[in-house]
Amino acid sequence: MKTADVLIIGGGIHGSSTAYHLAREGISVILLEKDYVARHASGVNAGGVRVLGRDLAEVPLSKISMQMWQTLDSELDADTGFRSTSMVYIAANEADITTLKQREARMNAAGHTHERIIDQRELRELLPYVHPSCTGGAVSQQDGHANPYRSTNAFRLAAERFGASIVEGTELRNLRRVGSSWIAQTPKGTFEAGTVVNCAGAWADKVALMIGDNVPLNHAAPMLMITARMPHFVEPVVGAVSRQLSFKQFENGTVLIGGGAKGFAERAANKTRLDYEKLANAARTTIDFFPIMTRAAINRMWAGLEAYMPDNLPVVSPSANAENAFHAFGFSAHGFQLGPIIGKVTADMILTGQPGFDLSAFRVDRYDRKVL
Amino acid sequence: MFRSLRENVPETVQVSVNGHPVQVPARQTVWSALALSGQTVTRKSALSGEDRSAYCTMGVCFECLVEIDGEPNQQACLREVAPGMVIVSQNITEFTMADRDGL
Amino acid sequence: MAFDCVIVGAGPAGMSAAVTLAEHGVRSLVLDRGAKAGGQIYRYAASSPLPDPSKLGPDYMSGAALINAFEACGADHVAGADVWHVGDDGRILYSIDGETRQIETREVLVCPGAIERPMPIPGWTLPGVMTAGAAQVMLKTDAIVAENAVFAGSGPLLYLVVAQYLRLGVKVAGLVDTTPRRNFLQAASAAPAALRSASLLHKGISLLSEIRRAGIPVYRQSVQLKLLGQTRVSGLSFYSNGLQQIEADTVFLHHGVIPNPNMTRALGLDHVWNEDQLAWHVKTDLYGQSSIPYIAVAGDGGAIVGGDGAHIEGRLAALNILMRLERISPETRDRLSRSPVGELRRLSQFRRFIDRLYRPSDALRLPQDEDTPVCRCEDQSVADLRAGFQLGARDPNALKSRTRCGMGPCQGRQCGPIVSDLLANWRGEHVSDVGYYRMRSPQRLLSLEELSRFKTVSSLQPRAREASR
Repeated sequence: MKTADVLIIGGGIHGSSTAYHLAREGISVILLEKDYVARHASGVNAGGVRVLGRDLAEVPLSKISMQMWQTLDSELDADTGFRSTSMVYIAANEADITTLKQREARMNAAGHTHERIIDQRELRELLPYVHPSCTGGAVSQQDGHANPYRSTNAFRLAAERFGASIVEGTELRNLRRVGSSWIAQTPKGTFEAGTVVNCAGAWADKVALMIGDNVPLNHAAPMLMITARMPHFVEPVVGAVSRQLSFKQFENGTVLIGGGAKGFAERAANKTRLDYEKLANAARTTIDFFPIMTRAAINRMWAGLEAYMPDNLPVVSPSANAENAFHAFGFSAHGFQLGPIIGKVTADMILTGQPGFDLSAFRVDRYDRKVL
Repeated sequence: MFRSLRENVPETVQVSVNGHPVQVPARQTVWSALALSGQTVTRKSALSGEDRSAYCTMGVCFECLVEIDGEPNQQACLREVAPGMVIVSQNITEFTMADRDGL
Repeated sequence: MAFDCVIVGAGPAGMSAAVTLAEHGVRSLVLDRGAKAGGQIYRYAASSPLPDPSKLGPDYMSGAALINAFEACGADHVAGADVWHVGDDGRILYSIDGETRQIETREVLVCPGAIERPMPIPGWTLPGVMTAGAAQVMLKTDAIVAENAVFAGSGPLLYLVVAQYLRLGVKVAGLVDTTPRRNFLQAASAAPAALRSASLLHKGISLLSEIRRAGIPVYRQSVQLKLLGQTRVSGLSFYSNGLQQIEADTVFLHHGVIPNPNMTRALGLDHVWNEDQLAWHVKTDLYGQSSIPYIAVAGDGGAIVGGDGAHIEGRLAALNILMRLERISPETRDRLSRSPVGELRRLSQFRRFIDRLYRPSDALRLPQDEDTPVCRCEDQSVADLRAGFQLGARDPNALKSRTRCGMGPCQGRQCGPIVSDLLANWRGEHVSDVGYYRMRSPQRLLSLEELSRFKTVSSLQPRAREASR
């Protein structure tokens, strides 16, 4: 039997970040990962690090997380590949501009000024190769991108340096509360801890159930494709207000195209299948906005297994039904940027009971309703 | 040195290899045109910048990527020559910038 | 309307399957990247540009008969159809004329063929270093040869190309044979069974004596091969009775072939490690039926069986598909299979002998120097990979994510086998426990425009259909 103060289920970025923030405070941590660290959504996502376009409930967390990204490499003594390139949402027409203005008013009323509306001239300056018909957009200056696999492992390696034990290839079979302990059974033996944290991503509803909480978690397979290297033509991360357009060019010249089109998630088989017709549409959209991409050569296509909540907001919360159990999952395909702050907040919840943020929108029991 | 064992070539076409006109048998591969013209460097390695050339000539290794008629990432070993085809060694490394001319 | 059977690849396996299906009234659709049917082994066998193609040998010439039978059988052969995805749902995507086509089929036969085993010796990325397979392809496709080249490695294909060069009057600077001495002892135990294929054995021996008679320098049991040159290859150094050095501007490497894994891996078919061939095989039954029943694999793409074996396997796969399509009874399938199965068994005994005799040495399969490139596309050396391993990337896919090894356009075809073996050594585990890259489609680079022009095809062009009515 191996014991620790805290047992974390799931070696994605939130689990690894939580392990790091706990271990640096001298807490003993065991992290169980059924495959290897960053195997799923945390390691194979699009690497976007953005505040732009977030739900208002997430903005305070996201802004602090963005500050943490700026100095993360030196804090973790690692190369996460983070680059602050700015991010631009393209407005294709006047209707998009109206949408942006409405959002700006809401954001300003809440005291947030990080999103700035730009006109057509400035859009062309930021994105010289954008289709000339695009009318403007919005920009967020601090946004950028990072390497998902390396970033997640940066937390993992830093956690290990502070003594955390990361156990890969070890799937949780059973978890139960006995007295003041959580006892976890795995094919590689039994683990015991006073506190458990559920960071199990697309599998988090199963872990939540073992803890005693029911959540309406869904899973899906957002698809990505990446090109062979091409000459540099775009610096900011690119999105669009009302079209499924999303891409970024990395320093090595490859261009990663996302856009949110989903393939087929086969969670039980640990795999995903792609929907090529939808990828063909994504290709068409990308060419429409950026004709320079016509001859880009797609090198790889893939999809990760990602967890979605019905409201597309994560669960960051103590358990509703059990003592000394916490959740951080369901980030609905935009959790990567939040990795640094979620680990900190989760550690704070465990250590002090004071997360330092209003997390009421992220309660695990927010879908519990009394039925008449 | 590469050479051709063909005894009679019924039909030839002219292509351009890195700016030089080359007369080659019709329907042979782009790689064969490069090999016979003696211009065997196909691409630069993206990281080291070293010269690379065809390795497997059967579509497996992707070492023979060249630019054909302005389109990059073409496998020279799988493409056939066509009259007037413009073939250029591919030079896309991590540091290549897009050409802003003509925008 | 879905197709009854789509065959991917028009090499010996695919062609013979199409012929067998046609014999029983099933008209298959055959998708092949090449301009002409034949695959690698029978490439242009029916339309050679060589003045006298018979110099390539009777095996090659025999391909013409199969190609002619295939072209006459009535199968719909789409040349230039570059299949870049076969799905476990039976959907197939291919590129043709700058567009993407999607088709659905009841049965799929995948015949992706072999690739040459990577030989990561120092300098193997230099221009002028090619594979023996490349020498063959250039010869067959466009009658192009390299004068005064060195051939290094071992295995039947290497000797065959050397012999073909010599018959055609092409000068060869030397044959650097790396077959280890102990292989002859290992192979001896398999020799009695192989003797039942005396003609095959004889063919191999006569190739070697042909090379000997030609009087070119032949170096035996060569080790520590290093390619020379800074910006392109200038020669090869090695040890064989002391340090040797040969100057050459072209060096052809070869030490055997392995199944081309990308399509069968991306399909998610079960694979098993085969210690005799030091390669992953697709797990199939006698008829090539894979872990997904409506997907079969035949020829070298499943396990190395050679051209003759591929021919038979294609026939067996077709018989099983005919049964699955309820065109023949199980009894008929079994009856018609009896003779090809026996023939395949005899060939496999000979194959076992060849596998032992030409088993590549570890020193050539695995790079011995820290700075030798492993991933040619992304310039990742042994040292780079070791550093990634030490940062916790113990799985081939984790190492790929960490270092970009295997992320380039070749999709790990060159580095994949090396990476799994390196990790096995570093982890102190067997390669079958380490596994292989998780592959995905596309199997080739695909322009964004090509993908965006996406069409679902439910039948062939009216022209092709009408011709059969």
